[in-house]
Amino acid sequence: MALAFLIPILSFVACPLIILFQRWIPGRGAPVAILAILGGFVLWALMTIGFLGASPADPACAVSDITGALTCHFSTTWFQAGIPGVAASVDDAIHLDWGILIDPLTIVLLGLITFVALGVQIYSLEYMKGDPRFGWYYAWQALFVAAMLTLALADNFLLLYIAWELVGLCSYLLIGFWFENPGPREAAKKAFVVTRIGDVGLLVGILLIWLNVGSFSMTDAFAAVESGAMGSGTTTAVAILLLLGAMGKSAQFPFHVWLPDAMEGPTPVSALIHAATMVIAGVYLVARAFPIFSASPEALMVIASVGMVTALGAATIALVSTDLKRILAYSTVSHLGLMMLSLGALGWTAAVFHLMAHGFAKALLFLGAGSVMHGVGAHGDVDIRRVGGLRKAMPLTAVVFSIGALSLGGIPILSGFWSKDEILLAVSHELPVIFIVLAFATAFLSALYMARAMFIVFFGPEGEDTHHAHESPLLMTGVLSVLAVLAVGFGWIAFNWPGSFGGFGSFVYYDHAEGFHFNVLLGALSIVLAVGAFALAWLVYVRRAWSHKSLRARLAPVLRVVERRYYVDETYQWFIDRIILTVSAALAFFDRAVVNDVGINGPGDVVRKAGVALRLHVTGHVYSYALVVALGVIALAVFWWLRSV
Amino acid sequence: MVPLLYFQLLGAALFGIGLYGVLARRSAVLIVLSIELMLNAVNINLISAASYLNGTGRFEAFDGQIIAIFVITVAAAEVGLAFAIILRMYRNRGTVNVDEINLLKW
Amino acid sequence: MQLALFVIVTILTLGGALGVVATRNVVHAALFLLLSLLGAAGVYLLLFAEFLALVQVLIYGGAVIIVVLFAVMLTRSSEYPRITDNRQWPLALITAAALSVILGAAFWLAPDLATEPQAPAFTGLAASLFTKWALPFEIASLVLLVALIGAIIIARVQSSTTADNSPVEPEG
Repeated sequence: MALAFLIPILSFVACPLIILFQRWIPGRGAPVAILAILGGFVLWALMTIGFLGASPADPACAVSDITGALTCHFSTTWFQAGIPGVAASVDDAIHLDWGILIDPLTIVLLGLITFVALGVQIYSLEYMKGDPRFGWYYAWQALFVAAMLTLALADNFLLLYIAWELVGLCSYLLIGFWFENPGPREAAKKAFVVTRIGDVGLLVGILLIWLNVGSFSMTDAFAAVESGAMGSGTTTAVAILLLLGAMGKSAQFPFHVWLPDAMEGPTPVSALIHAATMVIAGVYLVARAFPIFSASPEALMVIASVGMVTALGAATIALVSTDLKRILAYSTVSHLGLMMLSLGALGWTAAVFHLMAHGFAKALLFLGAGSVMHGVGAHGDVDIRRVGGLRKAMPLTAVVFSIGALSLGGIPILSGFWSKDEILLAVSHELPVIFIVLAFATAFLSALYMARAMFIVFFGPEGEDTHHAHESPLLMTGVLSVLAVLAVGFGWIAFNWPGSFGGFGSFVYYDHAEGFHFNVLLGALSIVLAVGAFALAWLVYVRRAWSHKSLRARLAPVLRVVERRYYVDETYQWFIDRIILTVSAALAFFDRAVVNDVGINGPGDVVRKAGVALRLHVTGHVYSYALVVALGVIALAVFWWLRSV
Repeated sequence: MVPLLYFQLLGAALFGIGLYGVLARRSAVLIVLSIELMLNAVNINLISAASYLNGTGRFEAFDGQIIAIFVITVAAAEVGLAFAIILRMYRNRGTVNVDEINLLKW
Repeated sequence: MQLALFVIVTILTLGGALGVVATRNVVHAALFLLLSLLGAAGVYLLLFAEFLALVQVLIYGGAVIIVVLFAVMLTRSSEYPRITDNRQWPLALITAAALSVILGAAFWLAPDLATEPQAPAFTGLAASLFTKWALPFEIASLVLLVALIGAIIIARVQSSTTADNSPVEPEG
């Protein structure tokens, strides 16, 4: 278990290896990355076995009295600044450790990341075949995964922040992987800049923790919050600032705009971003720092509100989008909102559970969408108005995509159903009634847009782009099949099966173990809504029994607002054009006129002009110099004479 | 009997004349000649002081004269070098006018 | 008697010096310098420094003036008459006069020793030079040697500056 730090290290090492030696490694370095992540996966399995066998008696492990979970902590000195023993007191020295923190949350998250990343990288072997920068793709993939693994393992906020920024960098590199085209370029920039806004909040929050606690260690910070050493106002401020970072990375309103554009990257990258890396970093941060959030009811309310707005808004946009990947992207945003909502409702276990279930389902869906693109020969957009009826041409893809869609839509016995149900339960317990109503609306919409995408692409009448469609290669469908099994079966680990295993909630929990609860009323309502949504979509898009044209016409103004994605991008553009550029122009003028002309060039000008004036005394005539020497002698003589008198 | 002061005033006057030559002439050769005048002024001063102070016990006998010998020695060396430099200068730049030897000028 | 001699050598010395700084002709200047130096040698005689007077005549009157004249001849060009005094000569005059006055005033104000110039035994000079002053003496000879070598190296015609078709000297 102490070797868990090797999980990210393997991939970290793989990245420069591939960059440097991709010409000589067979397969342009792809095997190195895959072996690295495979090794990480194996190590994760060993680590999990070790963790399950660990007990509080283990010197490195203890039951945390804050999170209530068995926590194993390995750390080593990073660096020390100041001189302990020489400074006034040892406390004056800055002492930084880096290390890894292993608790159930880390375990499940590492499992998700390594598994999905492994699947994505194997899948990419086919999908990216023939790309001129094949090796670079795998190098960035390895770095991306390594950074995300580090983020999940970090035991202090500084290391987490480093990994956090590395994740941002890699997402930039991968989204903009096809940087020859303007679309990916712009999307990469957008993703980088938008998440950066949140990152500033995260950084300030971390520094605030340092100021108040004097340590970056998560354990210390949580203890300070728990003991009240950190005031409630400060705690709320820290929580909101950390949440800002989480909102940026997890694409919560109003920072959600980058995620739908991020599909400009290669589709497997989208799968990785949406399922296992980038976006879950935000949810993970909130879950990890939950002691800080749970100490502040205001922060929890903010999380819940942000999550709710995001979930509902994104779901409506997904319903009217026509691009397959865009539908999936907004679906991700919506489900991330649900996770945030759940965290805000103290449904910690439910949020993590949904994170996992959604991760597998969304990886499956994105890779399925990639398979569709591969099949119809599209690189870029898949307009669902132009494809359809792919069921015959791509039977396996159709099956697994449907499984993913059904799972995410919340059809019973598939994993998405159980996790969503847990969230609804938590929301109904903790939050005002309006939240549960809106959550149900989101659930219904979620089922509806998944059904819409699934029925149109695979079951409706054939579209114009689908004539040459063919099934994807074995490597891709194989990965899809494995993911499909998980999308179906993962939810079942929530139950208290006979035997030693007490259900997901007895392993991954915050503060107290949770059994699996199933509220009959909520469950029934949820089933009715989900099945109803799928039935409705089947009627509309497959049977064509009822046309939604009249409804569209009646709701035209609303529809336009939703189709323009609530004008968020336009608002940002207006804000940038009018406010930021105006302020920037003023600042630029200040910079040019004051900072540059006076501050920078000013001293230079003075020196230069003084030089122009003073150089006149340097005549170059040796007798002038001699004259000055003689005058100096006279001056010295007079000086000494006057002194002696 | 000539007082010591007369010799010293002679030295001061000779030094001033030499200095004027150094400061006012343009030809490198003439400047060197003026320097020789200044060196001689110093020598007159040294030797006169040595002669007059010989019996007072403040100096050992001949110290002043020997220093003057060293001055003459160094002056000879200096003249040799100075004219070597002037020759080189003349060959390189075709002039001994120090106005035109002004590479250090702005 | 002595005063008369002193007046004569003073006139010689200062007159020669004024000639050096006043004439425009370089050869004349060199000859005026010779005059001045011989006057200085007379001063040394008045001060009972016979050996110095001899050295003065030999080295200055002989060697240095010869070198000067050689230099003047080697660099002789039509420009000599054109090289007049520079524009700062009034300033130079004031400065030189001021320095002379300060020096003279310093001597004037110094306490009068009222001693007589003496003529010590001539052999004492040699004894002092080769015992007490032996080390500076050797160093002075070294200075002369270095100056000699330096002068040769500086003045030598190098291949890079050799004009027309004169044969290139082998590097020594």
